[in-house]
Amino acid sequence: MKLSDMKAGEKAVVAKLRGDGAVRRRIMDMGLTKGVEVALVKVAPLGDPLQITLRGYDLTLRKEDAERIEVA
Amino acid sequence: MTWTIALAGNPNSGKTTLFNQFTGNHQFVGNWPGVTVEKKEGTLRGNKEVRMVDLPGIYSLSPYTKEEVVARQFLASGPDAIINVVDATNLERNLYLTEQLMEFGVPVVIALNQMDVVNKRGYTVKSDQLSAQMGVPVVEVSALRGTGVKECAEAAVKAAQAKQIPVPVKYSPRLETYLQQVEDQLPADTPQALRRYYSVKLLERDEAAAAQLSSVPDVEGVLVKAEAEFGDNTEGIIANDRYQNITSFIGNVYQKAAAAATVSEKIDKVLTNRILALPIFIVIIGLVYWISVSTVGTLATDWANDGVFGDGWFLGPGQEQLDEAAGEYDTAQAFVDEYLAAAEELGVAGAADIMEAREAGEDVDDAAMDSFVTAAAAAGVEATYTPVDEETGEVMADEAITGDAALFEEYLAVEEPDPAAFGIWVPGIPVLIENGLTAIECADWLQALVLDGIVAGVGAVLGFVPQIMILFFLLAILEGCGYMARVAFILDRIFRRFGLSGKTFIPMLIGTGCGVPGIMASRTIESESSRRLTVMTTTFMPCSAKLPIIALFAGAIFAGSGLIATLAYFVGIASIIVSGIMLKKTRPFYGDTTPFVMELPEYRLPRFVDLLRSMWQRAWAFIKKAGTIILLSCILVWFLSSFGFVDGAFTMLTEDQMDMSILAAFGSAICIIFAPLGWGDWQAAASTVTGLIAKENLVGTFGILYGGGEGLWANLAAMYTLPAAASLMFFNLLCAPCFAAMGAIRREMASGKWFWAAVGYECGYAYAFALCVYQIGSAITGDVNPVGLVVAIAIIAFVLFMLFRPDPSKKKRGTRVTSVAAADAA
Repeated sequence: MKLSDMKAGEKAVVAKLRGDGAVRRRIMDMGLTKGVEVALVKVAPLGDPLQITLRGYDLTLRKEDAERIEVA
Repeated sequence: MTWTIALAGNPNSGKTTLFNQFTGNHQFVGNWPGVTVEKKEGTLRGNKEVRMVDLPGIYSLSPYTKEEVVARQFLASGPDAIINVVDATNLERNLYLTEQLMEFGVPVVIALNQMDVVNKRGYTVKSDQLSAQMGVPVVEVSALRGTGVKECAEAAVKAAQAKQIPVPVKYSPRLETYLQQVEDQLPADTPQALRRYYSVKLLERDEAAAAQLSSVPDVEGVLVKAEAEFGDNTEGIIANDRYQNITSFIGNVYQKAAAAATVSEKIDKVLTNRILALPIFIVIIGLVYWISVSTVGTLATDWANDGVFGDGWFLGPGQEQLDEAAGEYDTAQAFVDEYLAAAEELGVAGAADIMEAREAGEDVDDAAMDSFVTAAAAAGVEATYTPVDEETGEVMADEAITGDAALFEEYLAVEEPDPAAFGIWVPGIPVLIENGLTAIECADWLQALVLDGIVAGVGAVLGFVPQIMILFFLLAILEGCGYMARVAFILDRIFRRFGLSGKTFIPMLIGTGCGVPGIMASRTIESESSRRLTVMTTTFMPCSAKLPIIALFAGAIFAGSGLIATLAYFVGIASIIVSGIMLKKTRPFYGDTTPFVMELPEYRLPRFVDLLRSMWQRAWAFIKKAGTIILLSCILVWFLSSFGFVDGAFTMLTEDQMDMSILAAFGSAICIIFAPLGWGDWQAAASTVTGLIAKENLVGTFGILYGGGEGLWANLAAMYTLPAAASLMFFNLLCAPCFAAMGAIRREMASGKWFWAAVGYECGYAYAFALCVYQIGSAITGDVNPVGLVVAIAIIAFVLFMLFRPDPSKKKRGTRVTSVAAADAA
């Protein structure tokens, strides 16, 4: 499953991060690395971006970037 | 011996508050060279030997954002110690930066912040365990309450003196072997302390960091092997490894209490609620606008401009009564002048003498006046005075006053109101200076230079300060409490298509009041390219000073249609969107692609002193950086428009002689440029230049140059066709803003090159837009200019191409930052 397919309140573990360059590095710098548990908190009022919680804090990222993150 | 201590930490870790606690008032704010990233420096309270440098808030030391690049360049330049501010409520992610800071070969002290919050929530953080684990001193602090601050500074100075270089955190054994292979190939002259840092950067394929080495070794073979073994790119391998290390010990030092919803989570449920988020946003931003622009802000600006830098102001009430009395006096005087002129025309004895005396400011003796009134009454002289709206130049025919000698006498008796009679009157600075200069019998031209040039210029700078302070105070609240990040979260969907941030909405909105605080509000935008784009386009919005221009043209040319104002706002918004889409596909704007992966910090109450400090620092930056450019430009334009050659002699001109000024000559020389826009006369060109001092000046200059006869409106209507007038109006609405706003642009761009690019783009865009309006408008009204029409169509075709062509930066996502000037290590 992709991170972007998760539903509000759902929890999952990051399995794989696709892509490269600045966005992927930034995502990993923010702690979204393989094996970390994430929960989808909510989707922004206009349908994008997403709000997730991981490592004890809240992070927002766009759906197009969340599509590159595989969770299980 | 002086010590340089760098303060590093994540955004929202309380770094700024801690910096304020460390330095108190001994700090100054500037920019890191070449970028729009703020640089704060100061000396430690009670110890001038310790210099503190507040690095920008960062999560990592990647080559992808300007903030991270300036931070790591400074760290690599060798400060004596690093204080790493770590948010104890968010330990895992904060320690990721700590691991990287320990690779610079510089002593590190961890300031474990927010301990008060941790204790209140019942979390456990064992700081001694953490210290043992990381191998660096850990000091518990609360930046908010000021506890532990002194101990933390002492620990840092002690570490610097003892040169306690930390042992960098070990990576996994396999990764360490690859790292060792890279380190072995580093050039021999690489400083010993930085060998670890450069090995890691080489392993990450970080070209910007590698470029700092005397020669770049070829380690590609090692990297390819590592990537094959780990099945990831090296950047990913290292990031993974760092977090794995933290995860391995975090359980021993950090225990969270059972997860109950925090206050912050409850607030967030409401503020970013699917249905309520947008209405709440509109209310909050409406409130900011209402306070900073409509009510308090306008009061403050009027007080500064018309009071302190005008005639004067009342300490308490009185202004309204004075305005009313002054209005009556002005009307009376105007009628008296009209009446005298009418009498002179009819040849009434004494009229000419009295006019001359009034003009020279001399008293007319009662006997002469009496005999004139008798003569005029006998001749049955009548006169009509038609008032003209000062702001828009509208001739107010309904309010015309017609009268005979009796009314003349009545109006003659109206005395000039004395402000002091209406309340406690504080004279304005120009009045005080004028009185002083008159008392010492200063030469006229010098007096004019001081009053109309320098004082007016300083007034133009300082007049904006009260409003800027109010706006920045409000923005500091929104930023400090964490709401600003939510604004980006809520609005990102709309604005990202135009290469802009969700936070761009705020500068745009404030810009409809005044462009200066609008431009300065762009400070809150996270990505540098969005910030620059916002700075460049904010003044396309019609600000309050442009409203008189719109009113003038709407009234004079477009039969007072209210649609013109609506159209002006629409053109402003459309121009921002069109510019955003076009420019984000050009090279300078995709150089820095800060991804939208953003922390949503916890809501918290900001400290009042921090808000005040932020407000004052930004206002002061405006005065200092923008002030010079505003002041010099105002003096220059004043000089150009007030001096010229009369009968072959260079002299200062009266207001009516503006057609002989240097500015007029300059206007004549350049006006040919504007011929394709439909208004190639020098008056329009010269007015456009005076509009740069303040946009509303344009109306006044028009009044001087096109006044007389049937009045400004009628003259304008006779002079310009509909398309030409529309072109002239839109050019002035869209072109370079006033000097004050240009000063703000210069300040926010922090680069001369970017400043000129912004002003050049605005003028070019305005020119192209006005040309299309005129040429196509003329063609529709039956006056076709084939060449002009072709050019207009070519411009539109070019804009359409730029709008719809694919984005070339999409292929190159993640361009690295390479062009940041070396941070000064002084």
